[in-house]
Amino acid sequence: MSGPGAFSLPFFLPMPEITPFLKSLLSTSGISAYETPAAQLIETRWRPVVDEISLSRIGSLQALKRGSGPQPHPAIMIATHMDAIGMMVTSIADGFLHFTQVGGIDPRILPGTPVIVHASASGEELPGVIVIPPARGLPASVGDGVVGLEYLLIDTGLLPAEVSAKVRTGDPISFATQPVELAGEVISGHTLDNRASVAVLTVALDELQKKSHAWDIWAVATVQEEVTLGGAFTSAYGLRPQIAIAIDVTFAKGPGASDWQTMPLGKGPTLTMGPNMHPYIYNALKELAEKLEIPYQPEITPRHSGTDGYATQVAADGIPTMVIGIPLRYMHTPVEIVALKDIQRAGRLLAEFISRLEPDFVEKIVWED
Amino acid sequence: MKQLLKKLTETFSPSGYESAIRDVIRAEVTPLADEIRVDALGNLIIRKGQGGKKIMIAAHMDEIGLIASHIDEHGFVRFTTVGGVYPQMLMGARVRFHSGLPGVIYNEPLEKPTDTPAIEKMFIDVGATSRKDCPIKVGEVAAFERPFLDLGDRLVAKSMDDRIGCLVAIETLRALKSTPHEIYFVFTTQEEVGTRGAETSAFGLDPDLGFSLDVTGWGDTPGRKHFDIALGKGPAIKIKDGGMLADPRIIHWMVTTAEKARLPYQREVLLGGTTDARAMQLVRAGVPVGCISIPCRYVHSPSEMVDYNDVQNAVKLATALLSNPVEL
Repeated sequence: MSGPGAFSLPFFLPMPEITPFLKSLLSTSGISAYETPAAQLIETRWRPVVDEISLSRIGSLQALKRGSGPQPHPAIMIATHMDAIGMMVTSIADGFLHFTQVGGIDPRILPGTPVIVHASASGEELPGVIVIPPARGLPASVGDGVVGLEYLLIDTGLLPAEVSAKVRTGDPISFATQPVELAGEVISGHTLDNRASVAVLTVALDELQKKSHAWDIWAVATVQEEVTLGGAFTSAYGLRPQIAIAIDVTFAKGPGASDWQTMPLGKGPTLTMGPNMHPYIYNALKELAEKLEIPYQPEITPRHSGTDGYATQVAADGIPTMVIGIPLRYMHTPVEIVALKDIQRAGRLLAEFISRLEPDFVEKIVWED
Repeated sequence: MKQLLKKLTETFSPSGYESAIRDVIRAEVTPLADEIRVDALGNLIIRKGQGGKKIMIAAHMDEIGLIASHIDEHGFVRFTTVGGVYPQMLMGARVRFHSGLPGVIYNEPLEKPTDTPAIEKMFIDVGATSRKDCPIKVGEVAAFERPFLDLGDRLVAKSMDDRIGCLVAIETLRALKSTPHEIYFVFTTQEEVGTRGAETSAFGLDPDLGFSLDVTGWGDTPGRKHFDIALGKGPAIKIKDGGMLADPRIIHWMVTTAEKARLPYQREVLLGGTTDARAMQLVRAGVPVGCISIPCRYVHSPSEMVDYNDVQNAVKLATALLSNPVEL
């Protein structure tokens, strides 16, 4: 999967709508370590707007858009993880599937959720629903309370013998909840964490078709963020960019999560501050957002940012890193919600930032001791 | 093979103190290796073949253990753990220090005799009567003392985790007549304290692909549920564990090779714990990795049990994987 871009988008066309692409991303499977369907969709969308695309040794999609400044070009890596949280078959009992989680899932929201079982013995995508045994079928200690993952099952509707012939232990399971555009220009679906950020990066790449930029851009859709940050660790090491920006979702204000630690939805992306982020890049983005009157929200992350940025910062001999957050409600559920405006704003800010990166920007990134 | 396993499991080498087991393994593999060396963290690295795909196979040679943290005035040794040692495994246990000296473990009185004491409430009695005559110094490490037991098909020992992986690696090296690959068998250090030997040896070797050989859990004793691994049903091909998702291409390579060679195998989705493969996967620009697991009952107890047929089939599977070209 490599080769030069076939064409660039003509200047006179309006910017492509991002929502249809985002919806197709939200309808595509790709749990951690099984990202190929998402990678293929993203590759098709990015190919016309970048110069080269390849896969890393463990499957991250790495797209290069070359800069026009003096050689050698410094490079910025933008990491947006494409893997989704999901589930995996642990055993089969009387035709029902027991399962575990891939990434972190809240078991409270699972019963009643539609899923796809990627049945490896038959090669089929079997629809299923997550079911909960009646209280009398559960241990008394579980009874009416929160029922843990170990008691939930997936019903595919098939007879036990058919299930055994098609499904095997270790088969991946994806959420199948369809995305829906809600009133108020917000979208709901599974895997907005972090396909919303893939959409942000796509908006930026589209914007950059009509802007020149001195720096090389490595647009990377990383794998396995939800389990090990593995894609970001390895692509940052392999590509050795001079700076890195991770884009990931962050906790938006919502029911039961409305205190000062959360960010309002629809008020702009967050610019993250803390030891994981380089203050110089933070300030550069903040000043640019203010100058261009792009709404943004400062966000404090005192420890692990919980994003690919945690990996890029310590890859190789260290990479100055920044994290941009997209506020999201109902994290790690099949009904995550993101404001479309925040995606557009973050994409535009990113494109403006990249196009203004001067060849010597990296020399200016110094610690003021 | 059983004699060698007895020797491997009756050697005392907790994490960070692998010299004794390294000597045992080195003596065994020296006639079989094209090149042999020990790296800065003590990993024993054996090369077989040259010029083909670089494949790293990791089996960790360290074991869980204890480390003396304080000697009291009456000569009792207080300790903490090296790796995942559960207190309920220690009540009444016998241990042997790296120096060869034995000791027995007991605990301060409990409120109820059925309680499990915290590690801080336990001590090792080495037969001393005062701090002065105690032969153990702060910092000395110990491991479970338990002889190897041959029950026929079922074999029991301490440190089956992961001397059984070391045995499979040694026997694979012995069985491997020729290979198109450049294979590095790495007997790693410090797996039990965070896959640390594998991390540095993988960085140093920069392999094209690899797998670990380690134990996995079991689902076939009373009360255990929803874990499809049983002793005697073949080695397990890892799909997921608590720290890693195996590369689907490596899973496919292992499954098709096992099926072609008509070897029994099981598909492993382990909820907790991980192996050296996790560290290998994340090193440098990333490495496609998997793991062949030996089903093992009572992991991290002094009586870990494996099935001899699973061990032999693991050797056959590893040998089949490494004898033929591989395209992921």
